[in-house]
Amino acid sequence: MTEPRKPEMKGQNVGIGEYYTGDFVMTSIGLGSCVALILHDRRCKKGAVAHVMLPESNGKMERPGKFADTAVPVLYDELISGGSNKRDIVAKIAGGSSMFKHFKGNLDIGSRNVAAVKSALEKYHIPLVEEDTGGTVGRSVIYYPEDNGKVIIRKADGKCIEF
Amino acid sequence: MQLTDKQLDAMAELGNIGASHAATSLSTMLMSQIDMTVPEAIMVDIANISDYFGDEISALVVFEIQGELHPGGYVVLHLPRESAIRLTNTMLGSTDMERELNEMDESALLEVGNIMVSQFLDATATLLGIVMLPSPPAIAIDMAHAAFASIVAQIAVDIDEIILFRTELKSGMHDIQSTIVMLPDTNTLDTILKLLDEVLNPQL
Repeated sequence: MTEPRKPEMKGQNVGIGEYYTGDFVMTSIGLGSCVALILHDRRCKKGAVAHVMLPESNGKMERPGKFADTAVPVLYDELISGGSNKRDIVAKIAGGSSMFKHFKGNLDIGSRNVAAVKSALEKYHIPLVEEDTGGTVGRSVIYYPEDNGKVIIRKADGKCIEF
Repeated sequence: MQLTDKQLDAMAELGNIGASHAATSLSTMLMSQIDMTVPEAIMVDIANISDYFGDEISALVVFEIQGELHPGGYVVLHLPRESAIRLTNTMLGSTDMERELNEMDESALLEVGNIMVSQFLDATATLLGIVMLPSPPAIAIDMAHAAFASIVAQIAVDIDEIILFRTELKSGMHDIQSTIVMLPDTNTLDTILKLLDEVLNPQL
C-alpha cells in the first residue's frame, strides 16, 4: 500500500457500493465478505454488476449498489429500462466469504450478504444460474457481457473458476 | 461525515505518536533501524478503497479497539506477502523465500502485530487521556482488498467515506514494509476529535 494503484485486470472496476450497466468488460477485485451481483441479458449480450457490501439498506437510497436489497432492483430496472426483456435476464453471484475465522465482532456478513442477495433475486423472480459463494478466501471477478456473459473468478488460493 | 483539514492534520499527528511507538517496538524485535513515512489521515470513499488496497496477497492482522469506546473500530497491520515472509524469516532464523506462509508464520505475525498495535493504541490513548486496548488479534492471508473490505463492512453501514489513517514502517536492512491503518467507528472518531481538540487547544 504505497501509491494508489490501478487494478491489474482490464475492464471497468466496480468499487464497493458501485454499479455499472453496459456491454463492456466489468471487474470486481478483492471480494471478501462483499458479493459481486451480476445480472446478464442473454439476448442483448449486456448486463449489470453491483459490488454489494451489506445485506440491508434500512431505507437508505443514496447508494443502491451497496446493499443487497437495493442492488437487485436497481440493476434489474436499469436493464429493463435499457430495453431488456424480463425473460432474458439471469443472475450470477460470487463472493460472500468469511475471511476472519476466530474473531469476535460481527464478521458473518459474507453469508448474510449471499442470503440477502438470493432472497431479493427470488422476490424479483430472477433465476440464479451460477454462483461461487462462501468459503474463506477472497475472489476477483471479471465479467464479459459480449462473450455470452462469461464470468472468470480468480481466488486468493490460486484456483480459477469459469462459468 | 466531513473532516476539516485541521481535523485530518490532528488525526495524523495523533497517529504519528502511536506509530512512533509501534516503530520502536518493531525496531527492537528486528534489531534494525525502522524508517517511518509521515503519517497521513485521508478521507476515502468506500468505492475507491481499491486504489489503496489491491488484490495482491497480503497478511492483515486485525484488532478491535476495546476499552472506553464502544464500538471502538479497528486497527489493522498490513504487510505485503513478501514482507510478511521476510519478517518471519528474520524472527525464525530462516532465509527461505520460496515458500507459503504457514501456521508458524501466522502465529509470529499475530505476535508482532499484538506488540506493535498495543504500543500504537497505548500511546494514542495516553495522549487522549482514555483507555484503548486491542482485542485478541485475527489474521487473514489473502487479497488485501478482500480482507480490508470485510473489516470496513463492520463500520460502514451508515457511512460512505472512511477516515484512513496510515503510516508505513520500513526496515531497509530486511526489506520489510508494513502499514498501520486505523479505522475508528463514527462515534469513536467524534470522541477522538473532541479529545484531540482539548489536547491541542487547551482552555485556560
